[in-house]
Amino acid sequence: MGIITVLTNGFKKIGHSNWGWLLIGMFILLFLMPPFIPRFFVYILGLIYVTSLLAMSLNFLVGFGGMFQFHHAVFYGVGAYTVALILTKTSLPPWVGFVAGPVAAGLVGLLIGWFCVRLTQLYFGMLQISLGSLIWAIVYRWYKFTGGDDGIHGIPMPQVLSSLNQAYYFILILLVVSLVLLYSILKSPFGSTLQAIRDNPQRCAAVGVNVRRHQLRAIGIGTFFAGIAGVLFVVLEKSVFPDLLFWTLSLEVFIMCLLGGWFTFGGPILGAAITVALRTFVGKYTEYWTLILGVILILLIFFLPEGVMGYFVEKFKFRGNSGNERGTA
Amino acid sequence: MGFLPNIGPAEVLSQLLVGLSRAMILFTVCSGLSFVLGVLRVPNIAHGSLYMIGAFATFSLSKWIGGSAGFWLALLLAPLVVALISLIAERALFCHLYQREHLMLLLFTFALALILGDLTKIVWGAEYRSVSAPDLLKGSVSLLGASFPRYNLFLIFVGLAVAVALWLFVNRTKIGKVSRAAAVDRDMVGLMGINVSWVFAIAFVIGCCLAGLGGALVAPTVSITLGMDHTLIIEAFLIVTIGGLGNMWGALVGSLIFGVTQSLGVLVFPQFAIVFPYAAVVIVLLLRPKGLLKSVW
Amino acid sequence: MLRVEGVVKSFDDFLAVNEAHLLVQKGEIVAVIGPNGAGKTTLFNLITGQLRRDRGRILFQGEDISELPPYEVCRRGLGRSFQIVNVFHRLTVFDNVQVAVLSHQKKSNTLFHPAGSLAVVETRSLLESVGLADKGRRIVGSLSHGDQKILEIAVALGNNPEMLILDEPTAGMSPEETAATIDLIRHLAKTRGLTILFCEHDMEIVFSISHKIMVMHQGRTLLQGTPEEVRNDPQVQSAYLGGTDA
Repeated sequence: MGIITVLTNGFKKIGHSNWGWLLIGMFILLFLMPPFIPRFFVYILGLIYVTSLLAMSLNFLVGFGGMFQFHHAVFYGVGAYTVALILTKTSLPPWVGFVAGPVAAGLVGLLIGWFCVRLTQLYFGMLQISLGSLIWAIVYRWYKFTGGDDGIHGIPMPQVLSSLNQAYYFILILLVVSLVLLYSILKSPFGSTLQAIRDNPQRCAAVGVNVRRHQLRAIGIGTFFAGIAGVLFVVLEKSVFPDLLFWTLSLEVFIMCLLGGWFTFGGPILGAAITVALRTFVGKYTEYWTLILGVILILLIFFLPEGVMGYFVEKFKFRGNSGNERGTA
Repeated sequence: MGFLPNIGPAEVLSQLLVGLSRAMILFTVCSGLSFVLGVLRVPNIAHGSLYMIGAFATFSLSKWIGGSAGFWLALLLAPLVVALISLIAERALFCHLYQREHLMLLLFTFALALILGDLTKIVWGAEYRSVSAPDLLKGSVSLLGASFPRYNLFLIFVGLAVAVALWLFVNRTKIGKVSRAAAVDRDMVGLMGINVSWVFAIAFVIGCCLAGLGGALVAPTVSITLGMDHTLIIEAFLIVTIGGLGNMWGALVGSLIFGVTQSLGVLVFPQFAIVFPYAAVVIVLLLRPKGLLKSVW
Repeated sequence: MLRVEGVVKSFDDFLAVNEAHLLVQKGEIVAVIGPNGAGKTTLFNLITGQLRRDRGRILFQGEDISELPPYEVCRRGLGRSFQIVNVFHRLTVFDNVQVAVLSHQKKSNTLFHPAGSLAVVETRSLLESVGLADKGRRIVGSLSHGDQKILEIAVALGNNPEMLILDEPTAGMSPEETAATIDLIRHLAKTRGLTILFCEHDMEIVFSISHKIMVMHQGRTLLQGTPEEVRNDPQVQSAYLGGTDA
């Protein structure tokens, strides 16, 4: 099957390059960490992984697809709520919930996306915000079904995922698998055509690409992975609440991509890690984290618009020619 | 179902008025948002925060001045406070970004919203505040068998006054006409020797001032809380979108649709009243994705 | 091969194209000339589908393409380059052309196969035929303007079109680059059997390589004929050729 070959090819490729060994080393290190570090750090790392996947799924559409995906959190929330509802309201086996989450997110993504791709840029974004807000409003008010304002808590996890460490391993593995998949998609013809659409949709149409359909397919993929992130959130937190669908989260994720660098592959991960870490540790000293986030954003806009990683990539480009190849995904 | 047992014409009329008055507040805020959107081509995410500051400032001012006069003076001064804040933000930071791509401007307004949100928390704390209406506007009048709160009638009157004032401003004053021209073609305006940056500054400040006015007007009708900015800005964005980007009359139409659907929705399905305006927005956008009225650009 | 009949297009009140006629036979090189604002680029946009005509018909190889969107027009075998450089600026030169080739091979949607190993031969040979093979790995933003315009042509060729529409292919080029590009166009036309429709301001080029010339003025077709016929026509002379290009 295509996906299995891809994964094995992907891992083989990693094994052949220098970066690859570094990544594998990091992965092994992270995998082995939980018994040796305090519980709290295990939790924070898990949260970083979940948020990284969310940010990566957004950047797939924004940084590599050039689309104004302004309300991505909706799909994250749909994924989370789907698995939460299946686990609490039905007696279906848990894995059904785990699969249904991303699928539901992808379907909602395609539905909303179908309306949005007919528009460009700002109109695309505004329509998505309105459709997404409608979903939020329904979830927020439907107390009987979704728990409304309170959300749903104490979601039962299968035995194999019940402890924090087990949840950590599961989340890390799924993060890595998702990242490998996303990377191969970006390196495939689908991915280069997507980036070409980002750079110049008119030219793409002139070379025979059905731009709208391609964008819609990309939306399906991006929202699917957002749904996976939502499921992983539930595995970690064992609860859901309407804030997962609120527009402020969508914009925060946008900022993470900007912070990390949205034209690089790993940028959003860095952005997510920095944001979550800052939020946690700053939160210990002050309750005005939002203020600090705002200041950071302003600094970014004025001084570092390519993001942290983007900045370094630019630096490497001028150092030597080898940078040119890594200029894109 | 959630149907109330006795919906007569009196209830409908009463809710209609509530919806209209709420629409007038929304219009005051959204006309400002639309104006900024039209001239600067950027949706100002900080608009909700400025509205909230307007409400809190009204609370403080009216408490400090005291009595009925307190509210009237606060109504006058709070928007000016908000205008001042926006002027500082604009001249210190925002104006340096005018040459950058629009996404950066949008993100700046988001950063501003975040900062102002927390500043509000720092200055006023997290408790609920409330403002009482002045004596002149307390109580209700009876009309056509239904009772109408005086304050709501006042709001309708103010909303219409704002609409008229804006029309006069945009069509009869020099600054207004220049702003309108800049919305359509800023390069041309620059070539005519007019300092486009100042045009933007004025447009931004006026837009934000309207947000503050909206906040001041809403103060006696709701509890003033810290989440106000978030809920409002989403509603404002949607209204401006269905009205046609940058079109102030579109903002009026959008506000009416939003306000009335929500208040009538309360009669039909009280638990989900909040869903009705969002659904209405979705329907409008599916039929007319670029808004009901023509966008300014 | 391409027939444009009585096409009209107006924007609000401005009549950009007013009864334009054009006939291009297979294998010909046809030029469209006219002063700035005559409607040449609008006409090209109408042919390739970026704009919709108000009236008139556009037929390509017998098929009415008047209503087709740009990507369908391209798939019918009609390639195009743009007046203002219009490439994928964050991608490498190689990637730019490869996107077009992949689209032609209908492989744009392949999800799980690395693009690096697909359509490599075709892309490389295309780059070689336009002389950009050694710059394959460079990001487009770092190329000179002249090279970018050649890349435009290479991208358009990626779809293996039967006919190529070139909108001012030598605009902004130095005399050496211009001569090289014209040679390239002539060479490509011969080796690939391409039919070429282009527009230019440089009259020397136009008269030296075109089989037929169509003259536009204020949106309408004044005349279409051989270079000799066009040169001697009194209407054309008074309207356009009297001075140098605008």
